[in-house]
Amino acid sequence: MLEINNLVKHRGTHEILSGISFKARPGRVTGFLGPNGAGKSSTLRILLGLDRATSGSALINGKPFAELHNPLATVGASLDGSGAHRKRTGRAHLRWIARAAGLPNSRVEEVLEIVGLTDAAGQKVGKYSLGMGKRLGMAAALLGDPQILVLDEPVNGLDPEGIRFIRTFLRERAESGNTVLLSSHLMGELAETVDDVVIIKHGKIVADGTLEQVIGNHSSLEEAFFALTSEKAGDTV
Amino acid sequence: MRAFNAELSKLFSLPGIWLAYLIGAIAPAAISALESMAQKEEILAGVSTRLSEVGYIGLALGVQGVIILGVLAVSSEYLTESSESGGGQQITTSLTVVSSRFHLLLAKACAVTVTSILLSVVAIMTTISATHFVLGEYTPAFEVSKLIGAVCYWTFTALLAFGITVLTRNGIIPLAVLIINTSVVSFSFLLSKVTKLALYLPDRVGIEMFMFTSDRFLTPFTGGLVMFAWVFVLFIVAAIVFHRRDVAA
Repeated sequence: MLEINNLVKHRGTHEILSGISFKARPGRVTGFLGPNGAGKSSTLRILLGLDRATSGSALINGKPFAELHNPLATVGASLDGSGAHRKRTGRAHLRWIARAAGLPNSRVEEVLEIVGLTDAAGQKVGKYSLGMGKRLGMAAALLGDPQILVLDEPVNGLDPEGIRFIRTFLRERAESGNTVLLSSHLMGELAETVDDVVIIKHGKIVADGTLEQVIGNHSSLEEAFFALTSEKAGDTV
Repeated sequence: MRAFNAELSKLFSLPGIWLAYLIGAIAPAAISALESMAQKEEILAGVSTRLSEVGYIGLALGVQGVIILGVLAVSSEYLTESSESGGGQQITTSLTVVSSRFHLLLAKACAVTVTSILLSVVAIMTTISATHFVLGEYTPAFEVSKLIGAVCYWTFTALLAFGITVLTRNGIIPLAVLIINTSVVSFSFLLSKVTKLALYLPDRVGIEMFMFTSDRFLTPFTGGLVMFAWVFVLFIVAAIVFHRRDVAA
């Protein structure tokens, strides 16, 4: 379970998040949507302890990230790009992460197999395509077999096969009782994958509910999204 | 301990850092060999005034290897991927793998310390061998206490480079300043012409651990303590800044 409570973030004089609250529940895929600059990444960064909140809290199974003992076994995360140094090989990157979590090298090979990077594991990350980098980030997130996954734009840059793989994979994770929170701006993909939707605009939540609730009377998630986030739209659903 | 293992694994899987090991193992030996060749005639004639520096000069001027090590250990975390690759940084991965920032920084500092000690031991062996090769039986005896001083100097220098890079998050400035300072022109030496307080700067007091400087004023042990104090204070400042800073900032 992920809980964001009244989260406020200021950067300089700019208010990036204005007291947002939502939950991502076990057994469900929660889609976190918003235009660029709405505060999606800032929220995920605070949740993962990368940035500090000005006020409010972001809890992972009831605790802030900094209090997790073995974070990799609780929450797997993939944010911008691969999160790897470009001169290291994909395998070497996963191996140091495995060391930090006390996992054997055999687990590295398992996750490489899951994301389909086994053949490219010996290449330097700098040679990877955007999609391969995303797969590597995903492999790192899966190393500790966590109950929670937090993914920023997981299908961005993937080919159709990759998108289908992520979609099926995330559905399976959620159906076996795990929590999945993903941000995306690809509405079509998101509608096929998520159970719950949270929409953020200018640092405020403008919609929060099941996919059906958020779509409401609109013809699709995309229609609902634009109705909610266009400048003329009201502040809340 | 796991975080420490992960940091060691990072240090040994980065190609740039192998350059640091190579320079660390070769540069002091090369400098000492050249210096010994230049001094050879005077040493053989028994009139050399710089006998006490033979060998050690290489260990004093050849610290670039550990400087690169200390800088790259941190700057590699902040190297940004190209925007086509998503523009990520390894630091986000490091911080999502180890939840305590202090533990991460401590693990990294320990990995740099251990690697620097090993590298300085290798450098001492290559330096002594190179000096013996040039001077043969005229090689002065190397004192263990001075060699320990050289190991401390190297390790503290690596940690200073490490601490400065935590503050700058970019390797270029610390690398340029520290390498120029140790090899081309010593800023602390220049400053010492202006104020005697500059003699307390870390590179200057550190040298006291194994070199006789003309304006020596501290014992080797006190010199080491003063340099350690610099390292300690810088680490505390770096830890506070690292703890408070947003990764995105």
